[in-house]
Amino acid sequence: MKINADRASGLFFLLFGLALYLFIIPTFVEQVEGGWVHPDTVPNAVAIVLSLCGALLMLRPTKHHTQEASEFVRAGLYFGLLMVGLVLMGRFGFIYVAPMIALAIMLLIGERRPFWLVCGVVGMPGAIWLLVVQVLDRALP
Amino acid sequence: MVDLSTILAGFADAFTIWNLAFVLFGVVVGQFVGAVPGIGPVMAMAIAIPFTFGLDPLPAIAFLVGVNKGGLVGGAVPAVLMNTPGTPDAAATAMDGYPLARDGKPLKATKMALFSSVTGDSFSDLVLITVSAPLAILALRMGPVEVFALMVFAFSVLSGLIGNSLIKGIIAAALGLLCASVGTDPENYTPRLIFGMFDFYDGLPLASVAIGTLAIAEILRRLTQMSGQVKPAVEVKDTGNPQDMRVSWAEYWACRFTMLRGAMIGTVLGALPGIGSTAAAFMSYASAKSASKDPGSFGKGNLHGIAAAESANSAVVGSNLIPLLTLGIPGSVGAALIISAFMIHGIQPGPLLFQDQGRLIYGLFGAMIMANFLNLWVGQVGLRFWVKVVSAPESIIFASALLLCIVGVSMATGGIFGVIVMLVFAGIGYLMSSFGYSVVIFIIAFFLGPRFEISLSQSLALMNGDWTRIIEYPIALLLLLVSIISIWWFLRRSGPDTTKSSQVTAED
Amino acid sequence: MKLKRTITGFVAGALMAFAGGAMAEDWEPTGTLRLQIGFAAGGSTDTMGRVIAKVMKEQTGWNIIAENKTGGGGVAMFTGIAKMPPKGNVIGLGVNMPVLINLVKRGDQLGFDLDSFEYLGTVSRAQLALIARADAPFDDLAGMIEYSKANDGLAIGFGAPPQKLLMEVVNREADANLRFVSTKGEAETQKLILGGQVMAGFSAGTHIKYLESGDFKMIASANDARHDYAPDVQTVREAGISAYLDPYFYFATTAGTDPAAVAALTNALENAMATDEVAEIVRNAATTEVLNLGAEGTEKMMVDGVENVKVLFGQ
Repeated sequence: MKINADRASGLFFLLFGLALYLFIIPTFVEQVEGGWVHPDTVPNAVAIVLSLCGALLMLRPTKHHTQEASEFVRAGLYFGLLMVGLVLMGRFGFIYVAPMIALAIMLLIGERRPFWLVCGVVGMPGAIWLLVVQVLDRALP
Repeated sequence: MVDLSTILAGFADAFTIWNLAFVLFGVVVGQFVGAVPGIGPVMAMAIAIPFTFGLDPLPAIAFLVGVNKGGLVGGAVPAVLMNTPGTPDAAATAMDGYPLARDGKPLKATKMALFSSVTGDSFSDLVLITVSAPLAILALRMGPVEVFALMVFAFSVLSGLIGNSLIKGIIAAALGLLCASVGTDPENYTPRLIFGMFDFYDGLPLASVAIGTLAIAEILRRLTQMSGQVKPAVEVKDTGNPQDMRVSWAEYWACRFTMLRGAMIGTVLGALPGIGSTAAAFMSYASAKSASKDPGSFGKGNLHGIAAAESANSAVVGSNLIPLLTLGIPGSVGAALIISAFMIHGIQPGPLLFQDQGRLIYGLFGAMIMANFLNLWVGQVGLRFWVKVVSAPESIIFASALLLCIVGVSMATGGIFGVIVMLVFAGIGYLMSSFGYSVVIFIIAFFLGPRFEISLSQSLALMNGDWTRIIEYPIALLLLLVSIISIWWFLRRSGPDTTKSSQVTAED
Repeated sequence: MKLKRTITGFVAGALMAFAGGAMAEDWEPTGTLRLQIGFAAGGSTDTMGRVIAKVMKEQTGWNIIAENKTGGGGVAMFTGIAKMPPKGNVIGLGVNMPVLINLVKRGDQLGFDLDSFEYLGTVSRAQLALIARADAPFDDLAGMIEYSKANDGLAIGFGAPPQKLLMEVVNREADANLRFVSTKGEAETQKLILGGQVMAGFSAGTHIKYLESGDFKMIASANDARHDYAPDVQTVREAGISAYLDPYFYFATTAGTDPAAVAALTNALENAMATDEVAEIVRNAATTEVLNLGAEGTEKMMVDGVENVKVLFGQ
C-alpha cells in the first residue's frame, strides 16, 4: 500500500482523537457534577468525531497530493526563523529584532537590491515605531 | 417617540463642517489602518477611542463611526490583494476577490468590494433608522433555543463550502470546535485544556488564531513557492481594456439580488446580539453560490462572490446598533466600543436613550449616512493607493506584512505570547491546507463554537434537559428543518460524489 | 485597650502617610508605567481604567499606557504581574471576585496567592442586583423562591461565576430549585429577561435605566448592603440567605516593589480617583460612586473576601 496523504492525515486524526479522548481531556478538563453541558461534553464529542473521521478517511482517501517535500522543508525553515525571531523579540524588543527578521526574510526570498533592502530593514520598522509609539502611544513588543 | 424637530436638529448637527471633518478624518483613518495587514477594523476602533476623550459627544461618536465604517472597507483590501485576510468575514471576500486580483484586475476586485460594502452598509443603516424598534422586538423573541437552531443552521451552511471530501470538511470543523473549547467552559467556568497557561483562560486569542491561520499561513505558503526571482506582489496587467480597472454599472446592477440578499442576511443576523459578521458573510456567500446558475465559477473570481460576502458583513455593522440603541445591548466588539465611547461622554445607553438623547442619536444617524458617502469617495482614491503599494516587490511586501501582523497581534493580545500563538496557528493552517483541509471551515467553526456551546447549555437549561420540548419553539423547529434541507441540497449539488482528482490549495 | 490601639494605629498611619508622601514625591517610574486592565476593551472596567490612566497621566506627567490583559476576569493578568520583576512600572486593575474564587477553588494551580501583590486601592464597589421583568409574579426573593417551588423550577440568568455560586447557596438553603442559564454577561442576561426566556437575572448597574423606564423591577441586592438608588429593596442576606457578593474593582502591583514606589502609585491613584472626571465615568460605567479603600483597606478587603467566598462554596 502506497503512502497517500489522506491515509497519513487520517491516521494522525485517528490517533489524535483517541489521545484526546483517553488521555488529554481526562487530565486537563475538570470534572463537574450537575448541570447540563459538562466541561468535557463538547471536547469529548469532538474527539470521537475526529477519530471516527480519521479512520473513515484511511479507508476511503481522496487522491489529494501534497506539495513536494522540499517545500515543507522551506516552510519549516521560515517557521523556525520566525519562532527564533519572536523569542528574541520577547527578550530584546522589537526595535532590535524586527530589522533582523526583515533582513533574513528578504535575503531568503532573493532580494539583493540595496534600495529595497534598506526600505525593508530600516524604513518599515522605523515607520512602525513612529506609528505605534509616537502617534498611537502604544507599546511595541 | 421622538418628535420631528429633534430629528431635524440632530441631522443638522451632523452636517456641520466640524462634524463632517471628523467623519471624514475617521473614514480616512479607518480605511488606512483597517487595510494594514494584522490590524483590521475592530483594532482600528480600539486604537481610536482614546483620541475622542477630549471631544464633544457627537464629533467623538461620529469619528468612531467613521473609523468603523472605513475599517470595514479597508479590511477587505489585504484579503483581496494579497489573500491575507485578518478576520474570517474578510476571508469570504478573499475567496473570489483574490483570484480576480491575481488575474491582473486588482482594482476591479477591490472596487466591487467597496461598492457592495457601501451598498450593504447603507441598506442596514436605512433599516436601523426607520424600523429599528420592531426589529429589536423580533430580536428579543429569538431566545437561546432559537439561537441554538440558528447555529445549527449556520453549520449546515458550512456544508455548502465543503469541497470534495465531506470527511475532511467535518474534520476541519471539529478541529475548529476543539480550539474553541479551550478556555473556561460556559456553564461552570472551569478552565479546560489550558495546560497551566492562564493566558488561555478566556480561550485562544481570536486575533492570533484568525491572523495566524488566514494571513500568516498564506504568507508562509507564498514564501516557500518563490523561485528566487523577486516579482511585484500584485501585477496590474495593462490589458488596454479600461473595463478591467473598474466596475461598470451593468456589472454592479447584475449583482443587485446578490447584494440585496447579502444585505438582508447581514441586517437580520446583525440585529441578533452575539452572532457576528462571520456567519453572515459565509451564509450570504454560500447562498449566492447555490442560487447561481454557474456555481463552478465561484472561488475563481466571480464578482457575485465578492458582492455576497462584502454586502453581508458590512450590513451587520449597521444593524449591530439596533440592539445597542434600542436596548443598550452591544451586538459585537465594535458595538461594545461604541457603548464605551457613549459612557466616556457621560451617556448611559439603555431603553431611554432615544428619549434622553434623541438629538444625539439622530446626529449619529446623519453621521452614518455621511460616512457611507465619504467611504465611497475616499475609497476611490484609497484603493488606487493600496494597489500601488502592493505593486512593490514581494520581498518588501511580505517582510512588512509579517512585521505588521506581529505588531498588530501583539497590540490586540497584549504581548509577545499572543504572537507566538499566532505563529503556531500559522503552522497549523499551513499543514491543514497542504493536506487539503479547509482552513476557512476551521476558522468559522472556531468563531461560532463558543456561541454554539453556550446556546446548547442555555437551551438544555430552559427545556429542563428534555429535547422533546423543542416543539414549544416553532421558529427553532423551522430553522432545524431548513438546516436539514440545506445540508441535503448543498451535498447533492457539490457533494463528495464529484470524483474530480483534487489538487487542493489554500483557496478552497 | 481598643481606644489605645486605634490611636496608635492612627498615629502610625499618619506617620507612614507622611513618610510615604515625602518619599513618594521623589519617586517616579523609569520609562513607561503600564496600567493593565484584566477585561476586554469596551467593557465597564476597561472604560474606567482608561479614564483613570488618562487623568493620572495629566496629574503626574508620567508616561502611562493602558492596555487590556484578558483572561479569567483578571486571573491571567495578575498571574503575569505576580511574576514580573518588582520595578513599580505596572499596575493591574481587576475585580476581586474572580480572583478570590480561583484562589479558593484551585489555589494550588494558580501562579500567585494573596501575598504576591502590593495592594494600591479600589475604584468602587459594584452594586449587584437581582432583577426581574416588571410583570413577574413575585416582588422579592422569598416570593421568587415560592414561585420557583410551585412551578417546577425557575430559569435564572447569570453572567459570571460568583452569581451562580450565590444562587447555588439559595438552592441549598431554601431548596429553591432554580435552573441556571449561563450567559456571556449582563447585557445578554437583560436580553433574556426582556425576551421572557428567563424570569430573573443579575445586573451590576445597567438595569437602573430599565427600572426608570418601568421594564424591570429589582428583587434583591446581592451585596451586603442595600443599594443607594433602591433603599427599600432587601439584600439577599436580609431575606435569610447566608451569603452575599461584594465585587470591588481594585488595583495591585507586584509584591516586593520599593515602598516609595508603592506609596507614589497609591498617592497617584488616590489623586486621580478624587477628580470629578473619574467620579463621572464610574457613575456612567458602573452606576455607582467612587469608593477608594486605600492600600490597607484593599488588602483587608481581599483577606476577608477569601472567607466570604468559602461561605459561597459551602466550606
